[in-house]
Amino acid sequence: MTYVLNRLLSVILTLFLITLITFAITNILPGDVAMMIMGTQSNPEALAGLRQSLGLNDPLLVQYGRWVGGMLTGDWGDSLIFKKPIAELLSQKIVASAIIVVMSMTIALALAIPLGVWAAVHRDKWQDTASSSTALLGVSLPDFFWGIVMILVFARWLGWFPSSGFVDPSENFVRALRHAFLPSLALGLGLMAHLTRMTRSTMIGILGQEFIRVARAKGLSERTVIWRYALANAIGPVITIAGLQIGYLFGSIIVMETLFNYTGMGWLTYQALLNRDMPLIQASVFVIAAVVMLTNLVVDLLYVAIDPRIRLD
Amino acid sequence: MNALVTVDALQVAFATDSGPIIGVQDVSFTINPGETVCVVGESGSGKSVTALSLMRLVEFGGGTITGGALSFRRPDGQVLDVAAADSQVMAAIRGNEIGMIFQEPMTALNPVFTIERQLTDGLILHKGLSQTEARTRALDLLRSVRIPEPERRLRQYPHELSGGMRQRVVIAMAMACEPRLLIADEPTTALDVTIQAEILALINRLKREQGMAVLFITHDMAVVAQMADRVVVMYRGRIVETGTVTEIFETPQQDYTRALLAAVPKLGEMKGKPAPEKMRILGDDAAYAAAKPVTARKPEVLLDVRHLTTRFPVKGGILRRTVAQVHAVEDVSFTLNVGETLALVGESGCGKSSCGRSILRLIEPQSGEVWINGRDIGALGPHDLRRARADMQMVFQDPFASLNPYRRLRDQVAEPIQNFGLAQGQALRDRVAEIFDRVQLPRAFMTRFPHELSGGQRQRVAIARALAVNPKLIVADEAVSALDVSVQAQVLNLMMELQADLGLSYLFISHDMAVVERVAHHVGVMYLGRIVEIGPRAAVFDNPQHPYTQQLLSAVPIADPRRRRFADDLSFKPITSPIFPLGHQSAPSVYTEVAPGHLVLQS
Repeated sequence: MTYVLNRLLSVILTLFLITLITFAITNILPGDVAMMIMGTQSNPEALAGLRQSLGLNDPLLVQYGRWVGGMLTGDWGDSLIFKKPIAELLSQKIVASAIIVVMSMTIALALAIPLGVWAAVHRDKWQDTASSSTALLGVSLPDFFWGIVMILVFARWLGWFPSSGFVDPSENFVRALRHAFLPSLALGLGLMAHLTRMTRSTMIGILGQEFIRVARAKGLSERTVIWRYALANAIGPVITIAGLQIGYLFGSIIVMETLFNYTGMGWLTYQALLNRDMPLIQASVFVIAAVVMLTNLVVDLLYVAIDPRIRLD
Repeated sequence: MNALVTVDALQVAFATDSGPIIGVQDVSFTINPGETVCVVGESGSGKSVTALSLMRLVEFGGGTITGGALSFRRPDGQVLDVAAADSQVMAAIRGNEIGMIFQEPMTALNPVFTIERQLTDGLILHKGLSQTEARTRALDLLRSVRIPEPERRLRQYPHELSGGMRQRVVIAMAMACEPRLLIADEPTTALDVTIQAEILALINRLKREQGMAVLFITHDMAVVAQMADRVVVMYRGRIVETGTVTEIFETPQQDYTRALLAAVPKLGEMKGKPAPEKMRILGDDAAYAAAKPVTARKPEVLLDVRHLTTRFPVKGGILRRTVAQVHAVEDVSFTLNVGETLALVGESGCGKSSCGRSILRLIEPQSGEVWINGRDIGALGPHDLRRARADMQMVFQDPFASLNPYRRLRDQVAEPIQNFGLAQGQALRDRVAEIFDRVQLPRAFMTRFPHELSGGQRQRVAIARALAVNPKLIVADEAVSALDVSVQAQVLNLMMELQADLGLSYLFISHDMAVVERVAHHVGVMYLGRIVEIGPRAAVFDNPQHPYTQQLLSAVPIADPRRRRFADDLSFKPITSPIFPLGHQSAPSVYTEVAPGHLVLQS
């Protein structure tokens, strides 16, 4: 319990630091929101009036307090380019991106775990080399390259999946998944490499442990020994790596969603950056950071559920 | 012939990059129902490979049975050739007709499964029991290995159990399907001596009750003497000698067996001898006869430890504050004379290593004084402490871990000399060569790396490094514990020779009572951070006064089959926790002097 509380506290502390940093950075950049709205050629008096009405002349601490207060109460302000409330925009886009994140991680784990176990069981044999090469191929080429390959093979030549666009899952769930599949697959191939390496090395360590010999000496089948006794021990570190990769995934998502014209968080952030939509940048950076933090919290709690040794603290 | 197991000309090969190498060769012996056969040998003798072959588990370590036959008589009387059996049949035999227990109780259980799951899965698989039936049987098993509160244990995970308790669970697991043969591969090597005694007694009782045969693999001749009906001595993958336990111990036929026995210190053999004596190494009789007796000189105090106390914080809570303290060393006082050895003995966690490290200030003690040569070590600043460390060096247990794998041995021995600016250039090279001579290592080894040496040779390098700066005190923390018995004897002899020649003082930290009896002038017995009894070696060993010393001595296996001690169940008082809340006032250690210099802690 202390462990869970500890983790929660550290999440809250980190989120606080993130608000400070995002707020500070957007305030250090040249040009302010009033200038963005009115344009650089605008009337100085009107500009000053807008500044006054937007509260941009208040001390920074007051502005920060207002921003955080708004975030807490659900008033996230309006996006300058989309002319819509940010909260509404984000809540749509985050669902779109969540589909991609979950799907790509599922694909990555579904490929990496069997591949890693296979490599570990046949350590230093051709299977091991084959598995490592496959994993390495996934990571050594950039994701957008895989994105292009996916579009060519599965959309252009085979025509199995759509090459671009986003469908709201509440309208048509199956179509939504079909649209998310190719970007997810491209991302999953990139994620797979580390997870395969991790599965392999953890499994090799575990398979050398005495309790594996004991399990065999009990007469348990090789399948039980590997997929239950060993994997139950190896899965923790793999999931931890997967959790850390969620952060990396949000970086790649910007490229991938833009490539597939898939209108999720990544696409939105890219638009905001391109158009210097400060309030939207602040909010999306904060949301992405919060999501990454929370996923890692969930992963850590999952680890507690898997490994009884951590429960004791 | 009604033998349960007949091993005939077994040969096992291991595939390596440079072609197959033979692990064991021409190994033949039998095990009759209900008897204990001990396979004994030093590391690399092939004893474990032989045991694993019987279960065909050797395949999982890259080995292949390339020759010979392994016959196992199944319950229906049919004799099966294990070497040729298919893997289905083997899976049905493993854990069912043959049970196996291993060395490391700490790692023998799957950390993420409950005890119940691990105890029952074999029963469900082999005996077709339901979950409930298996659970009932598991409870019976836990009771039969004398684990307290069996219901609660079933729900627990391995890390919640002590080492001794875990080994009992492992034994219960191996016994679950009532096997006709139990293979025990070094089952007590990783355990403290009192727990070892309990486990050995337990195996003896189960064997008697169930009429089961035991194949007992060990490197420890004392355990062999206590357990075996018959003995198989192995060396470098071959059998050296086979015989009944009394034949092997009393009329060994082969030189190797004789040498092995000579290298084993026997508890009690120093009775009536005034000073430590070198181990007798076979084929080295001339050197033995010529050896100077290691006598004490005119007593002159080198090390004076007064009320030494070391505590470690236990962190807890959200802010990671210190919530309690481990009282690792609690009000310890003793003196050590020039040219003498004081042994600190005790079981794991008793604080003996922390005590050694606190004296050298490798960890900072809480309070107390340490005087070496009339200098207060505790009062030294960083600069003076560094200089003072030239007088006090340390030798650790694992020479592979304490030597840097990337540096040549010459440079590692030279390093402390350079650190203290004692010599350079040709003088430095001469000094290093001289030290290699001292520890009886060929000078050709100077340019080698640690992995090119054997364990015993590496420990000689570690000793050489400690000697390099001409120290007065050497703290030897389990310095021979990881070594094979014949190598252990050689290193002990080297240490005693160096003591006689250089007047070194040793603080000899060890768990091995028989070794301590051989090398120590004085002995301090530690328990829960305190010295409970201290005095001249003869006084402590021949006339132990503190209950803990008595318990410890009664648990030591003796390398003599006519002095067996572990017939019935034993149960020693478990060691209580050394963790105390903050602000806990520990009572000072007060001693009664029962004889001159022989002090016993008042409780």
